[in-house]
Formats: sequence, structure tokens, C-alpha cells
Amino acid sequence: MVIRQISKRYYAGALLITAGVLFAGTDRPVDKEESLVASRRGYWAFKTPVRPATPAVNSDWARTPIDAFILSALEAKKLAPSPAAGRAQLLRRVTLDLTGLPPTPEEVAAFLRDNSADAYEKVVDRLLASSHYGERWALRWLDVVRYADTNGFETDAVRPQAWRYRDYVTHAFNNDKPYDRFLREQIAGDELWSGDREAVIASGFNRLGPAHIVGGVQDQELNRQEQLTEMAGAIGPVYLGLTVGCARCHNHKFDPILQADYYRLQAIYAGTQFKEIEIATPDQKLAYEQAKKAYEASLKPLKDQIAAIEAPFREALRKEKTARLDPKLRAALEIPKEQRNAEQKLLAKDAEDQVKSTWDEVLAAMPPAERDRRAVIRKQFVALELTAPDPSPAAYAVANMEKEVPPTHILQVGDYKHKLGVVEPGFLKVLVHNDTAVPAAAAGRRSSLANWLADPRHPLTARVMVNRIWQFRMGTGLVATPNDFGVLGQRPTNQKLLDWLAVEFVEKGWSVKTMDRMIVLSSVYRQGTHGNAASAQIDPDNKLYWRMNRRRLEGEIIRDNVLAVAGTLNPKQGGKPVFVPIEKEVYDLIFSEGEPDNLWPVTPDPAEHTRRSLYLLNKRSVRLPLLANFDQPDTMTSCPVRPVSTHSLQSLSLFNSDFMNRQAEAFAARLRRESGGNASRQVRRAFQLSLARDPSPAELKLAKSFLLHAPLSDFCLTLLNRNEFVYVP
Amino acid sequence: MFPEPFSPKLSRRNILRTAAQGFGAVALEHLLHRDMLAAARVNPLAAKPAHLPAKAKSVIFLFMVGAPSQIDIYDPKPALKKFAGQKLPESYGKVSSQFTQGDTPLLPSPWEFKQHGQSGLPVSSLMPHTARFVDDICFVRSFYTESVVHAPAMYQVHSGRILPGFPSMGSWVTYGLGSESENLPAYVVMPQPEGTPEGGTPCWSAGFLPAVYQGTLLRSGANPILHLKPPEGMTPARQRKALDLLQQWNEIDTEPDDSEMAARISAYELAFRMQSHAPEAVDLTSESEATKKLYGLDQAKTRDFGTRCLLARRMVERGVRFVQLYSGGGPVSIQWDAHSHLVDNHEKMCSLTDQPVAALLQDLKSRGLLDSTLVIWGSEFGRLPMSQGGNGRDHNPHGYTMWFAGGGVKGGQAIGETDELGVRAVGERYHMRDFHATMLRLLGLEQTKLWYLHNGRNEKLTDFGGKVIEKVIA
Repeated sequence: MVIRQISKRYYAGALLITAGVLFAGTDRPVDKEESLVASRRGYWAFKTPVRPATPAVNSDWARTPIDAFILSALEAKKLAPSPAAGRAQLLRRVTLDLTGLPPTPEEVAAFLRDNSADAYEKVVDRLLASSHYGERWALRWLDVVRYADTNGFETDAVRPQAWRYRDYVTHAFNNDKPYDRFLREQIAGDELWSGDREAVIASGFNRLGPAHIVGGVQDQELNRQEQLTEMAGAIGPVYLGLTVGCARCHNHKFDPILQADYYRLQAIYAGTQFKEIEIATPDQKLAYEQAKKAYEASLKPLKDQIAAIEAPFREALRKEKTARLDPKLRAALEIPKEQRNAEQKLLAKDAEDQVKSTWDEVLAAMPPAERDRRAVIRKQFVALELTAPDPSPAAYAVANMEKEVPPTHILQVGDYKHKLGVVEPGFLKVLVHNDTAVPAAAAGRRSSLANWLADPRHPLTARVMVNRIWQFRMGTGLVATPNDFGVLGQRPTNQKLLDWLAVEFVEKGWSVKTMDRMIVLSSVYRQGTHGNAASAQIDPDNKLYWRMNRRRLEGEIIRDNVLAVAGTLNPKQGGKPVFVPIEKEVYDLIFSEGEPDNLWPVTPDPAEHTRRSLYLLNKRSVRLPLLANFDQPDTMTSCPVRPVSTHSLQSLSLFNSDFMNRQAEAFAARLRRESGGNASRQVRRAFQLSLARDPSPAELKLAKSFLLHAPLSDFCLTLLNRNEFVYVP
Repeated sequence: MFPEPFSPKLSRRNILRTAAQGFGAVALEHLLHRDMLAAARVNPLAAKPAHLPAKAKSVIFLFMVGAPSQIDIYDPKPALKKFAGQKLPESYGKVSSQFTQGDTPLLPSPWEFKQHGQSGLPVSSLMPHTARFVDDICFVRSFYTESVVHAPAMYQVHSGRILPGFPSMGSWVTYGLGSESENLPAYVVMPQPEGTPEGGTPCWSAGFLPAVYQGTLLRSGANPILHLKPPEGMTPARQRKALDLLQQWNEIDTEPDDSEMAARISAYELAFRMQSHAPEAVDLTSESEATKKLYGLDQAKTRDFGTRCLLARRMVERGVRFVQLYSGGGPVSIQWDAHSHLVDNHEKMCSLTDQPVAALLQDLKSRGLLDSTLVIWGSEFGRLPMSQGGNGRDHNPHGYTMWFAGGGVKGGQAIGETDELGVRAVGERYHMRDFHATMLRLLGLEQTKLWYLHNGRNEKLTDFGGKVIEKVIA
């Protein structure tokens, strides 16, 4: 990606702005800063979009206003749109785009048979109504909000209730929840609709970032700063499309965002704390308590047996270590607890530390027979652990503190040990569409942020979201840096279209489905993907959309397609995340100082293992190779655009992994089931299922000659690896 | 680069189309040859020139998980003897660590230091083998880092930040320089078999860089790379046949100038080559008995780490750009994290690694590879001179030692120092970003020219920029 040349004017502004850093909180430089900010309000992205007139174009090609904007931009560069994609190809494209799953051969056939003028509209409406639509959107949205099922860092514990937020997102897109409401629920659902279970779950958005939870001496203030950084830090990339986080350490170097602005935003969160909010019914709670008791009781005998086997070895180790103690320490240890003086207490504590043994020392001290006996019981214990009851339902959410909200200081270089002036909660000074004050009490701070963002006059909110919708459907955003509409970001390639879409979005009640429908029905979207040397010379990056962008499927969607094609996909939606079986090499990557068993409790029901990738446990520190190799984001920071890299590890996992080979076998079995023993029929069906088309005569011939000497599953594996299969046409 | 035998427009696609239409079998060798020619155009890991001339072409980073105690190995503090059992003098201020608050008694090193080599640099009796190579080693005794906790400190030494989610050193280096190897991953990682370091996979992740720059786990044995081999029952002949069919499909899908599709074709060919080359690369049977003995493969103690060091040499020999090697991980008993029983812990961990590390230096040297290989020994932080639990030491991020050897490094010197008791770096102090800037410079990479745009920032390994430690460079 090439960075746009930054004009000298901005550099000059940047220098002046950064000069004020150390004086933030005093009067004169602040005035100066604010007048500088005011002078930058003319930047396009800081002004409320106004609906531009739809260009008059003299062409049948333009079906929708979108097409008129695109065509007029193309014509200005002497470019012409590309021919439309073939019908089968278009059907595969729109089905993959709107649901993430392939069209069935029957759907393809029905569409090709349907000669009515609105055949495509009918398909689009069917897909928009599919419950897979929300799943497809959720995968994208979760990238942007950096969703994972675990905390990250070394312990990387599972957040057992976080999946409810994931399901909330799926439902929101399926129900076409207005985006202004969607946004407000996520930022302040607990404040605005405290009685609405969905809205409370939505507020979990505020705590999706990684969380460092570790033992030892705790620096509470540092921990709190880390939480605040994650909470406030999400607003800039996700909703504002501005790199507000850069202003944590200094005034933004390029955009008119003051360090004080950053801390005003942080102050909005100063009264917010993480909280599991109970949503269980009394019956659910009671059932959980009982199940938990029964579960713990079932573990106890095994625990006791293991302890009994270990006891003599633990004791022997303790004796041995006690004998090796420094005499002073040993003496202190021998004094009965209650008789120890202060110094002896300290010594005894050290002594206790020194005579302790770790699990592996105990195991190493056991003779093989005892170790085996223990292993048998331990295995039963681990199997029993898989039956642990699910926790009683709660929202992974946030809540306001009851105590007084602590003041928020500007921090020099972001360091909480170097506090500068105090700031009140507030919004970016450069944006003045709405001058609502933020309350001083904890309650209401986030609501005012949410309302400020959801104001139809907000210059960025609608633009940022329509740009994401466009990017999702077209492959690139009108602003190619969807999380950065600032000076360092890319300028819109067609600002009129962006603004038109933004105004339309708001006027159509912030309906994502409406925008999606409009885009996929446009002629722009329906173009073919083929290159054209003459056009490529003028617009090599296809910034003006003279053709459709070919897009690689995400690793998750490749996996979903493999399952769908093989006929093994379990379409069940929602619920707690699934632990699929993983390779030993991957298991070994889970960090543990304890006994490394049951670190990845595979979901017992194998039918769960073939559910859509959206439902697989997303563990921050251990990624599933097939997905990670296809550039799955690491969920540490917001990911607006996935990189697309191509390398051999992808080939290895897609060609050699057990998963792929098992699915290829299932695919072959399905072909035999559905097409009998005839090779031509099998090949034809295989193409229809995986590529939504018939094979060409040459392809059919190649396949048949291959099948003379190779099993059907090998042929299936090649189709599931094929370029055409992993790309949206 | 080979000259092109004919126009790339005359593509394999046409040849295959002809083949598919029944004009006879495709000459596979011909295809493979064409692939090699095409590889440079479509391979994101193709070798790239450095920004500046440099001697080092590859890196072996020997990472000691859990933090060795610098004052017991490479940074002698004789004054500690005087203060044994006393509290840290008040003039040192408050020194908090992860588990202690700086008020525990000072513990002098239980090991003797001796001077070694022509340079006369001191090394304790814990590392007799490495001590023989002090004249090749440049110690930097005044590194400091920002977190007292393992994982964040590991992220910082690997990726420049105390947070996960940023590209690791190896990712930046392969992003900057590509790979010299046609048949192996560019960046390999060899963790302790008993378990992963505390920081886990983010230590070698590509962060927000494309996945092609991630570290690839490498193990010894028949299956050195995950999914390298097809499942049981799939014979090589059968697999090759299937791969040929796949490549024919992909040729049909690929327009002559479509480098993205062509890259997929090359990736499958490289994967196939890797299947034969990777097991060869990790197969130690061709190594002489003397070499195996040198690395300690004949002793139970040193066999494991020795094998990984020998593998590291074999990797750089084959053009791998970055080798990340761990000693320690998983259970506490196999980490350098000596919160208690410092003596037992360090005698064990040093005895597992000292001979293999020395062997690696000697072997690289005798093969003429040391000049082009940068060897780094280090960890996430060091340990405090105060005791913990009577006979252990807590974490010390304020001043600790790492060392460089090989490619472009001026050996036989110690740069920087810690205070009299080894609590903090004083004088010339070096941050992790200085460590990274120096490593990059030794490879001919300019820290400011190696960037990637992510969420509106030009992200760099050194973020705000580090000082290149010029004295390290020969």
C-alpha cells in the first residue's frame, strides 16, 4: 500500500501541534492547540456529508444511482465498465458474499432456468433473508472489533460467556438492527436499555480487547490503565475511522486530534468496570448450582486417589529438601507455626517455598508402575472434567461504578506515573456537529458518547460504516484504509459516491441490509473480474471499479465451503464455542506450567466439529493452522482489511492435513451416494457442488483420465484446493 | 536469475490446454523448470537486497526462556560478597519485581568467575564451554526492558512492544530480506519439546504482517513441519499425480499475467519440494560422529538442545533467514526461572545448553558460516541480586546481559555496565529498541526503511527508533 504524499501544510501543522505537548493543561498552548484544531475543520471527513446529485449518465448500464456515480467517474478517465459476469458465476459470487456458503446445484439450476426479469432480485432477497447472512457479517465485524474467546497473554483463559456477544452480532445483522442502535447498544447498552438482555450483552463490546491477567505483585493503577486503553482505544478504529490512539502519548502528528482529546475519550470510560451481569433465570441458577455440586463430588474420589498415590513421594521429596535446607531455615520450619516470631515467620516462609515440589518433580520421583497407576486415574479424571457444567448464563458486559468516578489525567507519553492536567469527559474538539455535554456522574458518560456518534449529523459514523459495507461486497473500500479516514489514510476514490451512500444509509434508517441489497443489485457489482490491458494501464489498482475485484475467501469461509461441499456441514447456529480436535504440534503450543493434559478439551460430540468456523473457539495465543495460514487476524488489534498472502504452508494444510483428506473422502462418498458409480456423472456433480458449474469437455476428459488410476477422493481433494474454489469469482 | 527461455506470455496454461485436449502427456520436468523461473516473480519470499552492505545474512537467536541470572554468568559483581545477607542499600531506591518488593537480603553469586581468552573477559564456572569463545562474543551488559512479567517482556524482546500482536523480529527480517532458501521456510522456530515459552506463539507471529512472514515450527524427525506429509496411505506417487491434476486445474484458472494465481501454483510446487527437502534438512545421519559429539548428541543432558543447535546450523547452511531457538518452556523445572533453588536450576539449565552453544559457534566458524551468521544469546530480562525465598532470585528488567557473535560483530568485548550490585544498567543503557536497531543494522537493514502500514501508522520494529549500538559492529 502506498502512502499518499502528505502536503507540507500538514507537516507544518503537525509541528505546531506537537510543540504544545508538554504544556497541555496550561492555558496559552491549549488555546493555540484549539485554534489549530479549529483551522483543520475544513478537512473533508470532518464535515457532515451532504447528498450529492446523482450524475446524469446516458447509458443503459446504470441500473442504480451507485452505477451512475461509478460510470461517471469511469468516463472521466475514459474507462468503461467490464462485461457482466456469467449468470452461474454471479450466483456463486452473491451466495458466497451474502452467506459465506456455496449455492447448491439445485439453486444454480433454478436460477439458470428462471427467465423472469427479477430472477436475480429474487435470489438476492432469498439470501438476505437467510440466517447465514448474519453469520457472514459476524465474521467481518468480529475482525473489526478484535473478538476472541480468550484473554490473550500467557494464561490466555477462556471467557466462558463471551460467545453471547458473537451471537448478538449474528442476530443483529440477521434482524437488520439499525446501525445507530447497534452502535449504541455496544457502547452503552447497559446504560440505555438495562432491562434488555441483548443490549446488555452488546456492551461486552467494551471489553473485547486482550486482557493481561497474571499473578504476583499487582500494580492496580497500571492494570486499570491497560483496561482503559483497550476500552477507549476501540472507539477510534471501529466507529470513528480515526487513529485516536496515536494521541495517547502526544498530540496526533498528522490529524487534528489532541492528546487531551484522547484523554477526554478515556474519561468517558473512567467510571466503567468489567462485569458479568447475571441473565440466568432462578431455575437456571439452581440447576447450575446442583450440577456444579454433583460435578465436584464426582471429581473428588479421583482427586483423592491421585493425591494418595502421590503422597509418599511428595513426602519423601519434602524430607529430602528439608534435609538440604539452610540450618537457619530448617530450624524456623521446625518451630510450631503459632510460636514463630516475626523473623522466624519470614524464614519459615522461605523454607516452605524451598521444600515445595512441582507436579513434574513428583512424577519423576515415582517408579514407573506407580506412575502408570496414577496415569490411569488421571485419564479418568480428565475425561470427567469434560463433563463440567456450563456456567450459569451471564452477560460478558460492563457496568458503571457506584463509587465516585476518579479524575482522568492527561498522561505524559501515556505513562500513568507522569500525570499532567485533569480533563473532563468529552469528544474530539475537531468534530462540532453536536455539543451535548457529558455528565459528571459515571452513569450516562457512555450514553452520551454513543448518542454523539449515532447523531445523523456525525461526519464519520455513517461514512465509516457504509465504507465497510462497500469494502465487504466490492473487495476494497472507497476509502482503502477503512479504520483511518485521517490525513495518513487513503483519500476516497469516489467521495461523491461515499457521501451519497452515507446519506442514503442514514435516511434508510441505518439499514445495513438495504445498503447490501443496493450494492449487490448494482451493475458495478455484477461485472466480470477479467482484466483488460487498456483499462489496467489507466487504473491498475481498479480504484474506480472498471471491473469486479476477485477476492480470496477467508480461511474460515474456505473451511465452511469444504464442509458444505463434502456434505458434512453441521448448520447449527450459535452457542458456546467448539473445541475441534487439533494436532499434537498445535496442542504443544498451549503454554502451561502445570500438567499439560486437558488444555484443549475437545468438544465430545463429533457432530459439533463440523460446524461453521465462526463457532470454533478463537484462542488468542493458539491459532488453528488452516485459518492462521490464510491470514486470519490475531485479534490483538482491530483488523479492517485482512492481508492476502500466498505461501506453501497454506498448500500443506489444504492438501495434506487430516481434516482436508477426511473431507475429501466425505465428498467422494457423497458423490457416490448422489451420482452412483458413473465417473462422468460423479465429475459433473463434483464441479456443480464445488464450483457451481459444469466441467468443460476438456476438464471432464482430464478428470476421467485421472480417475482411471486414482481414487475419487484424490480428485475431490484437487477440486477443494483449486484456485477457482478458494476465490470469489 | 536464469534468462527466460521464451516469452512468459507463451504460458504453461496454453501448453496444458493443449495437453488437456488430448495431445499427450505434459512434460513434468519442463513444468518444474518453468516454475523455478516463475518463482521469483510470484514468490513473496524471494530474496531482496539489504538497504546497506552487511556481513550477516542470517540470524540464530538462542533464547533462554525464564531469564538466566546475568550476575551469575556473564556480569560479575564481586561487591555483592560484602553485602551478603544485607538489604539493598537505601541509595538504590525501591526495586519492585513480580513477586518481591526489593526488601529481601542480597545474595552473592555462588559461582566463581574467571577471565578467558585474549580479551580476558569474565565468565562464571557455569559456562566453561562458551567461555572458550569470549573472543568471538560481544557482551552487552546494559540492556533494560519495560516489564517485570515474562510474557510482556518476551513480547518486547521479540517484537518491540510489551503487547502481543506486533510482528516478531524474524517476521520483520524475512519481510525485509526474503529468503535464500527455495525449499525450506524462511523463518523457523524450535521450542523446547516440554512446552512453549510463556509468551507463546505471539513470540514468533507475524502480527499484522501477512501470514507468509510467520515463524514456522520445526521439529526433528520424519515430520519436521506440520502437515508436511500427507496422511498415512497416500503414497508419494499418488500424491504427485493428484498434485499434477491440481496444477492443471490451476493453470486453467490462471491468465498469463495473473501473478496472484501463479503464486498459488508456485506455492504448491514449493510445498512439494519441501516435502523432500525438509526431512533431509533435519536428518542428522549424514553428520559425522565428531560433529554429533561436539554438540553433545552423545549425552542425555545435551542431546536435546544440541540437536536444535545442530539443526540451526543446518538451516542457515541451507539459506534459512531466521532461526529462533528456545531453551526452556512449559513446566517450571525446565525454565531458567530460578525463583527458588538458583543453584540447582542454573547448574541444570547451563549444563543443558553450554556445550551445544559453544559447539554451534565452533562449527559455524569451522565451516566459514560464522561470518555470515549473526548469533544472539539472550532472554526477556535478567535476575535481581536480592534473593527470593532464601535461595532464588526474582526478575530484573532494569539491567541485564545479552550477547552477539558472528556476522559483522566485533567479538572480545563487553559493552555497557550495571551498577556495583547488578541492579540497574548505568551509563550507556540500551533499550530493546536499541537491541533491534542493532540487529537490523548487522543485517544491513535500516530501521526506518522497514515499515508496514497498519491502522493508520507506519509500524516499525523499533517504533520510535532505536540507537544502533555502534560498538557492537566490527
